[in-house]
Amino acid sequence: MQATTVRAGAAVSAAPASAAGRVNRVRRGDVTTRHRWAFLLPGAVLMGVLGLFPLFQLVWMSLHDVTQATINAPTWAWAGLHNFAAGFTSGNSWPALGRTLVVVLVVTVLGMAAGFAAAVALRTSGRWSGFLLGLMVFVWALPPVVNGSVWKFLLGDDGLVNTVLHGLGVSQPLPFLYDPTWSLFSVAFVGAIAVIPFNALVYRAALLAIEPEVFEAASLDGASRWGEVRHVMIPSVRATTAVLLVLTIVYAFRSFDFIYVMTYGGPGTATNTLPFLGFLQAFAQYDFGLGAATSVLAVILVLVLAVVYARSIRKEEKD
Amino acid sequence: MKIRHLASLAAVAVGALALTACSGGGPAASSGGASGGGDTLTVWHYFTDPQQVKLMDEYKTKFETDHQGAKVDNVFVPYDQLNSKLISSAGAGKGPDVVVFNGADAATLTLGGVLAPMDKYWDSFADKDKFPEGTTQVINGKLYAAQGYVNVLGLWYNKDILDKIGVQPPTTMDELEADMAKAKAAGFGGITLSGLPNSQGEWQAYPWLTEAGFSYQKPDASALHDGLNRIKKWVDNGWLPQQAATWDQTVPFQQFAAGKFAFAENGNWQQGTAKADAKFEYGVVPLPVGSEGKVYLGGEGEGIGAFSKNQDLAWEYLKDTYYDKDGELLAPKLVGSLPARTDAAQDSSVTSNALLKAFADTIAKSGATYPDGVVPPKAVADVQLAGGQAFSAVIGGQKSPADAANGAITSLKGLLG
Amino acid sequence: MNLKAGPVAVIVKAFFTALYGVPLLWIVLTSLKKSSDVVGGSLLFRPTTAAYARSFNGDLFTALGQSVTIAVGTTALVLLVGVPAAYGLARTRGWVASLGLGLLVVLQMLPQTAQVIPLFSLLGQWRLLDNVGGVILADAALLAPFATLLLRPFFRSVPSALEEAGAIDGAGVVRTFWSIVLPVARNGVLTIASITFLLAWGEFLYAVRFFLTPSNYPLSALLSQQVSAFGIDWPGLMALAVLTSLPILAVFTATYRLLRDGLTVGAVK
Repeated sequence: MQATTVRAGAAVSAAPASAAGRVNRVRRGDVTTRHRWAFLLPGAVLMGVLGLFPLFQLVWMSLHDVTQATINAPTWAWAGLHNFAAGFTSGNSWPALGRTLVVVLVVTVLGMAAGFAAAVALRTSGRWSGFLLGLMVFVWALPPVVNGSVWKFLLGDDGLVNTVLHGLGVSQPLPFLYDPTWSLFSVAFVGAIAVIPFNALVYRAALLAIEPEVFEAASLDGASRWGEVRHVMIPSVRATTAVLLVLTIVYAFRSFDFIYVMTYGGPGTATNTLPFLGFLQAFAQYDFGLGAATSVLAVILVLVLAVVYARSIRKEEKD
Repeated sequence: MKIRHLASLAAVAVGALALTACSGGGPAASSGGASGGGDTLTVWHYFTDPQQVKLMDEYKTKFETDHQGAKVDNVFVPYDQLNSKLISSAGAGKGPDVVVFNGADAATLTLGGVLAPMDKYWDSFADKDKFPEGTTQVINGKLYAAQGYVNVLGLWYNKDILDKIGVQPPTTMDELEADMAKAKAAGFGGITLSGLPNSQGEWQAYPWLTEAGFSYQKPDASALHDGLNRIKKWVDNGWLPQQAATWDQTVPFQQFAAGKFAFAENGNWQQGTAKADAKFEYGVVPLPVGSEGKVYLGGEGEGIGAFSKNQDLAWEYLKDTYYDKDGELLAPKLVGSLPARTDAAQDSSVTSNALLKAFADTIAKSGATYPDGVVPPKAVADVQLAGGQAFSAVIGGQKSPADAANGAITSLKGLLG
Repeated sequence: MNLKAGPVAVIVKAFFTALYGVPLLWIVLTSLKKSSDVVGGSLLFRPTTAAYARSFNGDLFTALGQSVTIAVGTTALVLLVGVPAAYGLARTRGWVASLGLGLLVVLQMLPQTAQVIPLFSLLGQWRLLDNVGGVILADAALLAPFATLLLRPFFRSVPSALEEAGAIDGAGVVRTFWSIVLPVARNGVLTIASITFLLAWGEFLYAVRFFLTPSNYPLSALLSQQVSAFGIDWPGLMALAVLTSLPILAVFTATYRLLRDGLTVGAVK
């Protein structure tokens, strides 16, 4: 294919797309751009109908008084911002917000760092890499009720983790699942474990897309392994990092399954994060309006993230 | 080469879509989901335990034998999803003919428009007087469901451990605490229970809290404080594992069945697990909650779906199975539940069973309507959650008994009106 | 390129092998236990395959068929809308791209539980309740934003110069996309396709809510039957989890092979 030579040349730069894109725009950017719009249509239709409608209804619900008694009624009574205010005055929303941020921080830092580290380690071919990647993906794909239950057993007083710690000389079992602070970190930790294989898989695909010539150039310059990681791999997967970061943060923000399986928000309310609080309000208290308001609150926080991401994309284009 | 891969992927994709489109009207669209009229009754339930499923099957057989031409379709819905699935189905004007649901959720389902009132059938039901108070679900003055059987909590004990520490099964709170102390000293755990911060925790907390004088009638912070303080003391003394704060009702019994604990607060439905898993001698006594303490009468309610096209037949089904004496006697036989009807409860098959007798005594002595009648229907779910969270917070050490009691009373005052 | 594993890589791999191997080992061991042996977590027990025998019945194969249909259908639909959309977003500039990407992130954030109720009424109106097509539509709507976001960087890293070469040869936009862009981005497309497949395979909430007849349930929903308010059949749950996830391994192995090929594409040509 004649294109290969062009591609090899373009790929030497760490961000080939932007370099070539600039040339492209100068020459005939308008033509290419206009024609690509049509590609967005099928997605816009599917997500517009099946995605925006639920979003709209969620917001609408958060502004109304909706309970199990009225959810099926033709109209709902207007409540304005009452549901939002109720969340804060009841003293539930603020602590839930704080806990959510802890979970997001733990899951994002662990999930991104470990995901990238695993991808770099697994980039090599060989039996072990293949087996380990398969293992990670297999565990990742198990339903949350299974993974959550397993970790619940492993982190219990007589679970494996405490048994090992006991062997290492820790006298008291650590209260992973019932101390208010520990339990929050435990569910965040398990949430991170569940996102690492996914990040590793995507990172690995991105790393494999780096042209071999880039590595050759780097090794000619005498780069160490660490230098390869720092100066070749990290910059090359910047776009993937951005999107994975966004997805990981969003995942952490809506992370709910493991809390449901491992602590049900407990002890007491110690692991009631925003998504779990929203679930409790909508499906345990059947106050759908209040639950929707809590979910909208989380969506608004993520909206900030969405704007930052969209702007970073524009910056990427201007580079 | 690469292009061929992608092309074949795309071909598979399009093929799959076509396949899906074709199967649209196929078996997927058959009956079973909702009331279909005719002589077929759809029954929604959440049972997964083989014995409980068998009970459903027996009821199906019984009704189909007694009513030639009628057909019963038992439909499983996961427990977590049953209520919301019923409510969203009701929004679409759909639903089963018969609903078998957690009795505590009767108010939620009634408000959600899921259940049809049964008064016209019930009023002319010859045996209605055989159903004791607390086994019918009356909401806003109308009867929406009755219970064919009752589940209650009792105090399970490990007889091997009690023999080892030289005590008899406790009959008072003091004895229970003394026994737990001895068990602890002998290297065992005291008691297991569920402190999950939801309705399960509230259901398990209720006997201990009412023992201390708490009631929803007159929610009093100091009584609640006393009750929670006792639980806190159990945790501090190492009698009750702190882990119970996030245990559901299943795990504590499995812990008990593993032989590490002297006691377990758990229900009659655990008889199967005990028989299969416990490698020691065990027994049950009523929870030692004195004359003040109350134990909820739990179990499943059975009602008629609001969107059933076959309400008459649905009533016939209930009358022939859950509300029938012979039908009710299947429940103790298969799943160890207690028949609701007084005549069935007096049957020798029930009274001769030592385990069942302890639960039956509990009902007679401390049985209480679940949920408490003073809680307004629309606040039931909130009250259960608030109670469960307070209980869990104390066990897990998130809140002191005083803080948890005050917080719970504040939210209860708002909810109880 | 340095493909030999260094000492650091070995340590990292050993760490992850333990982190994911131990839970899996625990799952497999539990599936081979009697329920009375589960609590206590001892390694000494007499293995039994009873839980597997219990899981193997007619329902399993019906559910397997449903799972395959749902996962394949969802993956196909997601790729059908997600691949062009990701490419379009990678090549579109200005506010459309920003708005599109921002919306995708927000859609990604909607809790699934909050989407059940509106989707139920939509599917009801379209007469797609209790229909595998309805579940596929819902699953696709759930996963498409995510897949599109993930695919975009892969298309962006396709050099525009390549496309221009195609255009100079006189190929139309669609042909350029199909024969030049897509093959270059295939690693990404395959990875995202397999991830979509795995997520659709495990999706449980929509399946339970939108199928009104349990005989239509896929494997993921069957799993939920092991857990109830009255008890959890741990060996049964773990055995079924292992069984229902085995097909995942097959799909993964297949894509893993294709991905490794992808590594050498640039070098060989």
